[in-house]
Amino acid sequence: MSINQVLPFISTAIMLWFTVDVLQRFFVRRNPAFLYWGIGLAMFGAGSFAEAYLSVTWNKWVFFIWYLFGAALNAAWLGHGTLSLLVRKKWIHIMTGLLVIGSMFAGYLMLQAMPTLDEAAFTIDKPVSEQYGTKALEAGAAVPVTAQTITTTYRGKEVTAVRGLLPLGTPVRLTTPFFNIYGLFTLVGGAIYSAYLFWRKRVMPNRVIANVLIATGALSIGFASTLTRLGYGQFLYLGELVAALLMFTGFRFAARPQPEEEVIQNSIPASAD
Amino acid sequence: MAHPIRANKKSHIPENSILFEKIVPASLIILAIITLGLILFAAGVLLGIVHF
Repeated sequence: MSINQVLPFISTAIMLWFTVDVLQRFFVRRNPAFLYWGIGLAMFGAGSFAEAYLSVTWNKWVFFIWYLFGAALNAAWLGHGTLSLLVRKKWIHIMTGLLVIGSMFAGYLMLQAMPTLDEAAFTIDKPVSEQYGTKALEAGAAVPVTAQTITTTYRGKEVTAVRGLLPLGTPVRLTTPFFNIYGLFTLVGGAIYSAYLFWRKRVMPNRVIANVLIATGALSIGFASTLTRLGYGQFLYLGELVAALLMFTGFRFAARPQPEEEVIQNSIPASAD
Repeated sequence: MAHPIRANKKSHIPENSILFEKIVPASLIILAIITLGLILFAAGVLLGIVHF
């Protein structure tokens, strides 16, 4: 087993621990933010586990989990948890409704895509994130050495494409950017904004650091995914592990109890009570 | 007789700390720029302006 096959399992274990920790806090404090984070983290963990599994062998339902939870939905739910601490309840109810409907719709589209999967295109030699989508080639574009190409009809035109698991124009792929833009904006943007608020007020230094760690962790997945799409897939699993560690550390840091009250011995005379 | 009383004393950012005076603000600015760049990039992909 190579290091790239072990790393996603380590990330999964961290995310599982992180998920249990966050959901425990939800059951104690009943703060919905913990529930949204818990859902997002469970999705992240499921996606990470699916990725680890797909680095060893193929299963189309594991791919379903990887794409829906790992690639499409998890960032949006994590970010939604952060947003729920920053905006009014009314907006959170509306956004929660939209996110639930959007997630169910993406699940429905993913189910519809399952019979069209080009399973023969799968190989364990590359991360699944490098081979999930069929990619149309521009005229005159160089074909990557290891890529398999196909000629197919897309929007009425015959195109040459790098073969992938999901065919060209699969509707579920169109939903992913919406979730990821929302997730990036709320998770990273929310963490940066929170860190700035505490920093400006000069209070809660642990939360300033925690939010910087959470934002950095969330961005490191984005970077790793972008590098993967550019052909540097070897950094993906390391990026995910770094993200899991930074976000978990940030969360633990933020949840650390603060010395809000300090017992001061003074000499007020009893008569002054 | 002396009575113990409770006084609110929130945790404060230490003064003259290089971490909080220099590193944290710089990190926040860099993270914000990267995030904005990624959001614009993702929007470009969504709108078909950027081929990725």
